[in-house]
Amino acid sequence: MRRASLGATTARMWPYYPDLLATPVPRYTSFPTAAEFSDAVGLEDLDRELAQISGDISLYVHIPFCEKICWYCGCNTGASNRRERLVSYLDALRREIGLIRRRIAGRAQVRRVAFGGGSPNAISPTDFVGLVTDLTTVGTLVDPVWSIELDPRSLCRDWGRVIAGVGITHASLGVQTLEPHLQAAIGRLQPREAIVAATGMLRRCGITSLNFDLMYGLPGQTLDDLRRTLEQSVALEPDRIALFGYAHVPHLIKRQERIDARSLSGQRLRFAMAEAGHELLTAAGYRAIGFDHFALPGDALAQAAEFGRLRRNFQGFTDDASPVLLGLGASAISIFPDAIIQNEKNAGRYRMRLSQQKLPAALGVRRSAQDITIAALIERLLCQGEASLGAAMTPALIEALDPFVERGLAGRAGDVLTILPAGLPYARTIAALLDPYRQDSTRRFSSAV
Amino acid sequence: MSSCEACVVRNRAICAALDTEEVGALNAIGRHRDLVAGESLIWEGDDSVLVANVVDGVLKLSTGTEDGREQIVGVVYPSDFIGRPFGQTNSYGVTALTNARVCVFSRRDFDAFARQHPALEHKLLDRTLNELDRTRRWMLLLGRKSASEKVASFLLELSERLVEPGCKVDFGLAHRRLSLPFSRQQIADVLGLTIETVSRQFTRLKTEGIVDLPSRREVTILDRVALEAEAG
Repeated sequence: MRRASLGATTARMWPYYPDLLATPVPRYTSFPTAAEFSDAVGLEDLDRELAQISGDISLYVHIPFCEKICWYCGCNTGASNRRERLVSYLDALRREIGLIRRRIAGRAQVRRVAFGGGSPNAISPTDFVGLVTDLTTVGTLVDPVWSIELDPRSLCRDWGRVIAGVGITHASLGVQTLEPHLQAAIGRLQPREAIVAATGMLRRCGITSLNFDLMYGLPGQTLDDLRRTLEQSVALEPDRIALFGYAHVPHLIKRQERIDARSLSGQRLRFAMAEAGHELLTAAGYRAIGFDHFALPGDALAQAAEFGRLRRNFQGFTDDASPVLLGLGASAISIFPDAIIQNEKNAGRYRMRLSQQKLPAALGVRRSAQDITIAALIERLLCQGEASLGAAMTPALIEALDPFVERGLAGRAGDVLTILPAGLPYARTIAALLDPYRQDSTRRFSSAV
Repeated sequence: MSSCEACVVRNRAICAALDTEEVGALNAIGRHRDLVAGESLIWEGDDSVLVANVVDGVLKLSTGTEDGREQIVGVVYPSDFIGRPFGQTNSYGVTALTNARVCVFSRRDFDAFARQHPALEHKLLDRTLNELDRTRRWMLLLGRKSASEKVASFLLELSERLVEPGCKVDFGLAHRRLSLPFSRQQIADVLGLTIETVSRQFTRLKTEGIVDLPSRREVTILDRVALEAEAG
């Protein structure tokens, strides 16, 4: 085994070991990850799973439209400029809601409804309220928690009435960066005033948990750029901040070709940025949730982390404890205890399936008993920072863990694996050691930091 | 040919946002449909997607469950706006509970009209938020309330919504006389109860002095506060 210089390049909070971060790893927002999805799983599986639903469930609704698409974005979205496309999509979504309603009415209690995209506010306020009305008749909505992702650039006053009228309490704003030159570099121009105004309006209209999405590793971004954006963001007092490293994979996401790869930070600077972000935000009073999320101590996410109830799903870290998540809309993913099923990703194919009165399940993966076990372990490691591995602590794993244990990034006591504070940036890399599906995956996954 | 000017809900429906000229234009794209009690609204032709205003009567919005049960997702009254597509499988159907008149528009035509008339668009958001409230209250009623709560809620709603055209709703009136536009059986169907239960509840409310029942189709609310307490 190669013993690289164990002297860390920095004597700060997180030692930097590039060799350990060399292999791209999944974000583990599900296990097995989307890389394992295939079309061997589809409608039959969804039918079977829906027939078994009972108890608490959560809903996710995908609106794959944006008024303007940013160059870095890997989300499933398209331009919203042609109203007919939006209207056809909403018709199809309504049909999907109706089909789901017929299957599960009376058997499920909906505790949460989340809207994501794209930009859910790319559709008109009236259309959105119509969608909410349709959802109200699915199963039994027991005072659910409503959450929505929003584009601050298209947040008109009517949206304030909608948020108050629907009773939405959780919102996430796409901020990314407040530096104008960086905004230009990623195709997302939004003046700071727009963020300030949006934040004010959202608070007045009833949002009690506000998240800012921010990014590091943007083309040409310096540590100072990041610090300024973080300080200005903290001043607006969001309850949560998600600080993501930009993943440059133009071979997978064509629109990223517009981003100048030459001015992208190398991994060492990305690492320094992640660390600077962590230090700044924790010093400002935010609790770190895993590696890249932050929440004020009173926020539900921080509370969940504090009391060991933190979970992980496609929206990142969450306090959602429902065992079932139903995804509606193109590319939406449904999670069941023993299967993960994704809808048609392409909006056109999604609409076509529904025009035939069929639910648009297209691909996914069935979870074996081993999958379920490993999923729980990976989730616990990433959420709690510690897991009792039982039989999964094999000699091979112990050997693979050695470089991390030696460098004080992880601890092993019997079958208990702990990610130490210094090892937080390596959490996904360590979790990947438990993943039997992991292969050399430079092309398929994102950088470890 | 319908005449908006003579329409009884001209000042309460979504068209209230329009001036005379605009109403004239709306008139041109709308059509009246008359339904007898029990009849469903179906749009014939290419454009099966439509929206509607309720001009007169009471209609139910319902959907079917997989095992053949009917689920009622709402009840609509004069001046309510129905903005979801219907007449297609898996969307909800619209069926008249009483003889009814609706003003229907193809969704495409209505959309185009709304975009050209910002005042209407704004009113549309109002209406849609009302529709959401209405649906929530309805689902709450169906899902959580007891028989006595359901009957009381429904009577309260009827007293608020079935207002004589032109009449100001005055809750200062100690006694509020209501003409029930449908039978006890229909009420039972809508609330998911048996007719025996509905009749029993009516009798109980009368015995407790909360309502009076001058005839089979009339209810007088004697103690509104008590009725509201019954509604839960």
